Amino acid sequence: MLTSWNPSLAMLPGQHLPLWAKPALEALKKISLVGPEELSCLGSAGPPRIKRAVDKGQLHPSVAMERAPCLELYLDQCATQDGLVPALSPLFSPFVPYDVYTPNPSNPEMTLESHLEEIKETSDDFSSVDLIFLPDELTQENRNHTVIKSQHETEENSRTQNHQNKLPLLSKQDVELGFQGSSLSNPQAHLCPGPADSALPSPENPSPHTLPLSIAPMTPVAPASECSGIVPQLQNIVSTVNLACKLDLKKIALHAKNAEYNPKRFAAVIMRIREPRTTALIFSSGKMVCTGAKSEEQSRLAARKYARVVQKLGFPARFLDFKIQNMVGSCDVRFSIRLEGLVLTHQQFSSYEPELFPGLIYRMVKPRIVLLIFVSGKVVLTGAKERSEIYEAFENIYPILKSFKKG
Amino acid sequence: MPGAGRCPDCGSAELVEDSHYSQSQLVCSDCGCVVTEGVLTTTFSEESNLREITYSRSTGENEQVSRSQQRGLRRVRDLCRVLQLPATFEETAITYYQQAYRHPGIRTARLQKKEVLVGCCVLITCRQHNWPLTMGTICTLLYADLDVFSGTYMQIVKLLGLDVPSLCLADLVKTYCGSFRLFQASPSVPAKYVEDKDKMLSRTLQLVELASETWLVTGRHPLPVITAAAFLAWQSLQPAGRLTCSLARFCKMANVTLPYPAASRLQELVAVLLRMAEQLAWLQVLKLDKRSVVKHIGDLLQHRHMLVRMAFQDGSAGMETQEKEQQRQRQRQRKEEVGGSTSGSLPGKRPASPALLLPPCMLKPPKRSCPTPPISTVTGDENISDSEIEQYLRTPQEVRDFQRAQAASQAAVSVPNPP
Repeated sequence: MLTSWNPSLAMLPGQHLPLWAKPALEALKKISLVGPEELSCLGSAGPPRIKRAVDKGQLHPSVAMERAPCLELYLDQCATQDGLVPALSPLFSPFVPYDVYTPNPSNPEMTLESHLEEIKETSDDFSSVDLIFLPDELTQENRNHTVIKSQHETEENSRTQNHQNKLPLLSKQDVELGFQGSSLSNPQAHLCPGPADSALPSPENPSPHTLPLSIAPMTPVAPASECSGIVPQLQNIVSTVNLACKLDLKKIALHAKNAEYNPKRFAAVIMRIREPRTTALIFSSGKMVCTGAKSEEQSRLAARKYARVVQKLGFPARFLDFKIQNMVGSCDVRFSIRLEGLVLTHQQFSSYEPELFPGLIYRMVKPRIVLLIFVSGKVVLTGAKERSEIYEAFENIYPILKSFKKG
Repeated sequence: MPGAGRCPDCGSAELVEDSHYSQSQLVCSDCGCVVTEGVLTTTFSEESNLREITYSRSTGENEQVSRSQQRGLRRVRDLCRVLQLPATFEETAITYYQQAYRHPGIRTARLQKKEVLVGCCVLITCRQHNWPLTMGTICTLLYADLDVFSGTYMQIVKLLGLDVPSLCLADLVKTYCGSFRLFQASPSVPAKYVEDKDKMLSRTLQLVELASETWLVTGRHPLPVITAAAFLAWQSLQPAGRLTCSLARFCKMANVTLPYPAASRLQELVAVLLRMAEQLAWLQVLKLDKRSVVKHIGDLLQHRHMLVRMAFQDGSAGMETQEKEQQRQRQRQRKEEVGGSTSGSLPGKRPASPALLLPPCMLKPPKRSCPTPPISTVTGDENISDSEIEQYLRTPQEVRDFQRAQAASQAAVSVPNPP
């Protein structure tokens, strides 16, 4: 996708990205928006590139001098290349917003505003696409410069003051994705393979023309560091279907090999098939319950097979109102859990009675799922009507369990 | 009284008693509507005029206390008195019972469930006041099944929306150990087995704390752990004469029922103590086993925090702590020169690498591996072949055979005593 990029603007190796940007780019690489070769290009940056551009006459020297590392400069360069932007724009939705750096820390707000005006103009031509390359342009000058929010977030300016103080310190340390302080958007949440359902970033930036200019921050919703990477496995699906005809259970039990019927014990025929391995309860009213399947599709196929058996036995069976009633999943978090602690902090949701049952029963409100949590770290989730509810419930419980990991 | 003496049609309060052919009537003087006819009324609406109606249609069912509810309340009071609970507990338990009784699911439940409900209310009251009462005790007192009790308990907690705190382990230890009959000599308890209550209590508490720190309590019934801890405490206070006494004999002597899991808890606790003993240099030389470690429980408990930290590592601790431990032990070994021969043997013996501090269920190898199921590509709408369905159906011959066999078995059953 960057093939049309002018190779003369290749970076020199050995230049460093700002510490905050590198993990963001690594994350981008992970989701293959940026290829490895591009990443290495981006990894090196700086004024030499600009200087070369100036030498080649692509850049006006005065502009280069004044605002060498700024966005506008870079965008001007890109403007000289044809066909670059339109090709790239669909790929880069305002998904990974980046901050604008100012070269002049002494008067950040003013320069920011002037920048932003320029950016606004250019943004009509360019999407936030090219911002991907932004960090490497600005790295050299701006490692210790401030991080400023977009004009929309002027109310955040007070917070950015803190950033200005913080960043010089932070640049020394390794700034992970869990960068504190800003709470605007959370692209990391999107990078989670799990069904993290954090809200789209930047509710303050509704307009598509505005560049969502904020650093990859962390919201309380689903920080990347706590994305579990574990997917619960479905163990059992219970579904019901209406065959819509009265059935003679005695006849079914007589003519079907895989049926058992004991009217004194239970008023339904218990039928089993081998593939998919399931059990069905068939009632004389024509209603049927199918249990034991490991996926929704298998449950549906099994129910159809039972209906076919009943059909072959001479009843006018149909297949109406197939509905999944319950789904059970299980998984293993692979660390031991202090159940006594968990019941203390989450008393309103948990029920832990070691005298009755070794596991803790956690009744999650949203989604409405019951979880059985055991000391070995195994978790059973039940009560779902949809697969996504199980995944969501597990993603909700995982940070809670991690906080009880005996470390 | 609201609604008394108001005409249902026009709402006027001008009701006049009138009689119509010797039948007394209540008539509204504004609109002329006959509010009630006769002394006996038949509908619920008439009841709002404070006239008599049949009991099943009245609201008396909700206001009066039914006989079975009265019986239940009496049982609650009796249970509180048997358990010698403070007076406030009785009132709270009564309130809970009454609240539960308002729900139709409880009101129409079987007597067995109502009986068990008595125990549930008392248990919830005790838990909320941190009074250590186990479900086993209540079930024994009520002659109830633990399964029925657990079902009713979970239901009532959910129904009433109550917050029930966990069982307080320390208090339970005190109550349970206090019930042991070992503190005075008696015909069944020889003098050498008699023990001081406070000493035994404090040591048992420390052992239970140690057990809960090393994952032996989470998820398990608390009572067997306490029994095992009490047994070890009792043995360690005078190991000389008591090492020969078994757990079963100990419980019999103390007049306490031995819970079945207590033996396995005892083994786990002793294993933990052995691991801790390996960290103490003067105990390493002794090569302790599960009986001899009892003699040194006092020492081990004195340094238990440090020893647990040294003896165990978390799964996440990694190799560094392990190496640090070994270094520390080698240093200590060098310091503790207990004669030339022993010091010579010490460097040869490597201290055991720290075990993982995990619940026993995670330390045991898994019984059977759970292979991830292959990703199925079932769509649910595939064609179902006839042959697949035919395999589940009986051929006519098989049907006849089956019917014959069924008839034969019926005949055999219906003839109870062959001549």
